[in-house]
Amino acid sequence: MSTITLRRSNEKDSIVDKLQNEPVLDVELKNLDFAYKSRKKTFPVLEDISVRIRGAQLVSILGPNGVGKSTLIHCMNRILDPTAGAVTINGYDVDGISIKDLAKFMGYVPYSSVDNFPLSVTDTVLMGRHPHSKWGTLDDDLRIVHEMLCLIGIEDLADRNFNELSAGQHQKVMLARGLAQEPRIMFLDEPTSNLDIKYQLEITKMLRRLSREKNMMVIMISHDINIAAKYSDNIIMMHDGGIFALGKPADVITSENIKHVYDVDAKVIMDEGRPHIIMIDDDDTNYDDDHEFSVIATKSGETYKGP
Amino acid sequence: MAEKRIRGDILREGFEEFNRLYYRASKKKWMFPIVSLIVASMALMVTLGMGVYEISVPDAIMVMIDHLRDSVTDKTSDLYVWDVRLPRAIGALFVGASLAIGGAIMQNVMHNPLADPYTVGVSSGAFLGAVLSMIGGFSILPFVSEDLSTISNAFVFSLIPVAVILLISKFKRLSPTAIILLGIAMMYVFSSITQYMMITSEAEDLAEVYAWRVGSLSRITWDNLPYIVVITTALGLLLGTMYKKLDIMYTGDNNAKTLGVNAQRMRIVTLTIISLMTAAVVSFTGTIGFIGLVGPHIARIFVGSKNKYLLPASAAFGAMFLIVADSIAKVSGINGLPVGVISSMVGGPLFLYILIKQRKKVWN
Repeated sequence: MSTITLRRSNEKDSIVDKLQNEPVLDVELKNLDFAYKSRKKTFPVLEDISVRIRGAQLVSILGPNGVGKSTLIHCMNRILDPTAGAVTINGYDVDGISIKDLAKFMGYVPYSSVDNFPLSVTDTVLMGRHPHSKWGTLDDDLRIVHEMLCLIGIEDLADRNFNELSAGQHQKVMLARGLAQEPRIMFLDEPTSNLDIKYQLEITKMLRRLSREKNMMVIMISHDINIAAKYSDNIIMMHDGGIFALGKPADVITSENIKHVYDVDAKVIMDEGRPHIIMIDDDDTNYDDDHEFSVIATKSGETYKGP
Repeated sequence: MAEKRIRGDILREGFEEFNRLYYRASKKKWMFPIVSLIVASMALMVTLGMGVYEISVPDAIMVMIDHLRDSVTDKTSDLYVWDVRLPRAIGALFVGASLAIGGAIMQNVMHNPLADPYTVGVSSGAFLGAVLSMIGGFSILPFVSEDLSTISNAFVFSLIPVAVILLISKFKRLSPTAIILLGIAMMYVFSSITQYMMITSEAEDLAEVYAWRVGSLSRITWDNLPYIVVITTALGLLLGTMYKKLDIMYTGDNNAKTLGVNAQRMRIVTLTIISLMTAAVVSFTGTIGFIGLVGPHIARIFVGSKNKYLLPASAAFGAMFLIVADSIAKVSGINGLPVGVISSMVGGPLFLYILIKQRKKVWN
């Protein structure tokens, strides 16, 4: 009995070892379906998704709420099991890889962490080392943790408890944890949703840079079309549980696509070869004249007054 | 890699400082369990002199030393100190430690600060088993003495809730909350049968049942102590080896999966081990409340939630708390009280005080 399990786990190990050594990763989703099932009804979320992502790059997944972006990522990293279809990496079905091995290979940065826990930031990021860690590797693991904290710029938070931090700081810790897994494929679910504009740009820029430096495929869900368009190598736009458009940002981010997918009027301008959208306000009412309003603040005795 | 080389020097210097601080913070966390253990070992000595039979603490310690040197002078003192009080005191340490470890892990894997080894129905199951033997004369093992049948009944019945949970989880995915609710539901069923039996029983049996219900260490002897020590130590250490995975359990099931831990399997495995460990204890002591629930909370205040420190700290605190509570229990009332009475009487207000005073958020 024990020899059989041992042999099987060795085989699984070797898949991940082989994949780790592949210079170019080739992720393929074949006819993927996913539905949530209750007793009588099924609620289809993803229908017949086939897509192939090849090589180290930053891919952004765009689309309105509830379209199945997170579900798609969850099917790829085995948080969810697809109802039909398969996910393969260089021809190997991810279903045949144990979750511990998969964690050596795929990192995940969850949507702003709801699960709050009282561990220090260092210990939280150290969890990212768990798939790789063995007895006596703590110092090496700490070195990587420290490197990632510095990379994200949160080394000053190292001793703070995770549950004492702000939402934006949580996201940075989760990013550091994902990077500490040293994955070949990194999934991020709105990694910058709670960050200020400076960090939104810095983190997205960093993800693109790391994709090249670490030969890593980065797949990121985003709601910020402009930032995604500015930094992504490719964009996947989802609509109605399927893929509506994909390709280079300039090809995907068009007024027609935005209108179709988000039902929003926008005009797209090009800036250094990248599309940038500007919202069109279709409300013609004049809100400025019919009543009085102001905001007043005082500081050191001086008064600041709005319009 | 380029990143690494350019920033290499800054990183190296920074890392030395970072590493030093990390290990310094780690060292501090051992203070609480060490102090708890020192207090516990002092209590172990003191408790030898406490009880209905009057003997001073130094004399009691001398009696123990005499026994170890094989030069027993006073047979009566030797009987009380060596044969009654010492096994009971050692038992207190292991019972307290195992209940607190069980609570610490259950609160984590169930994501519920109210979880403890009894919440899943282990104690009510054990109680029903014991009552069936004491009042109904029913024994799950045939041809055994009444004492043994109470213990074996308690052991087997305390495993029923987890068996039911395991069975249901084969067909249906159970959330942590559902598991606790299932435990509570079974607790009500067990209690109703127990109540029925108690109402229809003789007054004599009722007193015995009552003592069992409150929880007492008075049944621990040299004969059954080895079972308690071996089972709680082995299973406690086994749980201890999972400390890294237990940390990851805090992050929720989905995150755990992406970090290589199957949360549901972890929940079932730890729950089963804890039930076995608790059943082994409960079948000898009856249901001693409070420690499994509150021990981990108090430990968390001192060492935080990292399981590498939380588990030893909970164990040490649980051991210390139970032996101190039992020492007080032995000299309370006319003939001493069951420890369960004291542990709840002291523990409840202590818990309240700490909850109100504490500033650090230690649970979410």
